[in-house]
Amino acid sequence: MTSAETVVGQDASTAKAPDAAETENYARAILNILDDASDEQRRQGDNQRAMLNILDDLDTEKIRLESTQAALINMLDDLEVERRKVDRSNIELREVNEAMRSFIATAAHDLRSPLASMVGFSSLLANNWATLNEENRLKFVATIDRQSHKLTFLVNDLLTLSSIEGGVLNTEPEQIVLAEAIRACLAASSRDAGNVSVSCAPDLVVHADPVHLGRIIDNYVQNAFKYGEPPVRIEVTTAGDMAEIRVVDHGPGVPPEFEAKLFGKFARAEGTIQKKGTGLGLSIVRGLAEANGGQAWYQPNVPHGSCFIVMLPTETESGPTDERSRR
Amino acid sequence: MKTVLIVEDDPDIQSLIETIFSMDPRFSVVGLADSAEDGLELARTTTPEVIVLDDHLGGALTGVDAVPQFKKAAPGAKIILFTAHADLQARVVSQPDIDAFLLKTETGELLPLAQQLTNMLSLL
Repeated sequence: MTSAETVVGQDASTAKAPDAAETENYARAILNILDDASDEQRRQGDNQRAMLNILDDLDTEKIRLESTQAALINMLDDLEVERRKVDRSNIELREVNEAMRSFIATAAHDLRSPLASMVGFSSLLANNWATLNEENRLKFVATIDRQSHKLTFLVNDLLTLSSIEGGVLNTEPEQIVLAEAIRACLAASSRDAGNVSVSCAPDLVVHADPVHLGRIIDNYVQNAFKYGEPPVRIEVTTAGDMAEIRVVDHGPGVPPEFEAKLFGKFARAEGTIQKKGTGLGLSIVRGLAEANGGQAWYQPNVPHGSCFIVMLPTETESGPTDERSRR
Repeated sequence: MKTVLIVEDDPDIQSLIETIFSMDPRFSVVGLADSAEDGLELARTTTPEVIVLDDHLGGALTGVDAVPQFKKAAPGAKIILFTAHADLQARVVSQPDIDAFLLKTETGELLPLAQQLTNMLSLL
């Protein structure tokens, strides 16, 4: 069979016109070539589609991998957040443990000290009664009496805190004329508390357990003299159906870094370790305030000093008037 | 006569210790201090033979921390750590300058202990 190429390649001068059979052969050859080209084009099209599918698959895979990577990064972030929480919890637990250890040591010390006096002086009396003069006997008995009261106070604090924490605190609220309660509390307190100025409406009545109210005021005032500086004053204002009792001193104030821990159990700020106490007072105050439907908190006094506040529900509303209470 | 220095910030306990030593005429209390700082000053001037030392004191210095200075101020003194902190007993072991440890609730033991440390019991 003569191919189309050899026909096309002949010299024109020597070429002769193809007959019908040759023409048909040429035409078939050309059609075959065109079919081959068409097949090749289809194959290329198929290959191109396959390539595009592969690229699509790769793209999908890439997106899936990116999504997995993002999820892993999120998981790592979550794990880091959790790790930090655990670290913080560990630090807090260590602090609580240290505070507990310190509290137990302090409480044991404070319980033993009055006991030591009581045991020591009572032994002296028992073993030397006949040789001791009347003056010494009375002195020793007075010391035993004083120390037994101190011990009672401390044991009561521990029991009160235990009741608050156990949710079994007995609260018996009454209508109390606040100005009178403050005056009575100051009169029953130590010698320092006599020099406290008071600003309170004479007819303002609060609804609270009188023993708890006395304990709160006494604790605030004692702290003002123990850790603060005079002048100390008590200011009472009303806000809606609540009374705000503020005990203000002009000492150095509470170190800012200690404010958050101030009302916590066993709280003793740096530099106050030498002061007597168990660090239970403010924790008890907050517990008593909350048990009476109120709140207790601290804010710095301006320009310096401390301001301890307790808010309690009132029975009536009244504006404050000035009064000065000096014993 | 054995001289005694009392370093204690609780006035009732201070009075108790002083009274206990007054029961034995062979002892004489030569100084009372409510802080380690004041106690050290008295130790230098009175050179006591027995120092009854509390840990939790009025000044910045604790009794235990001040022990080496007390020993330096009064080298011959027997130091009794007399405290309400039971957990301090472990520190006595590592502090050779402390001659004895006594809890405050064991006041009846204070005088016999001081007698023993100053060799009075062997003289009886």
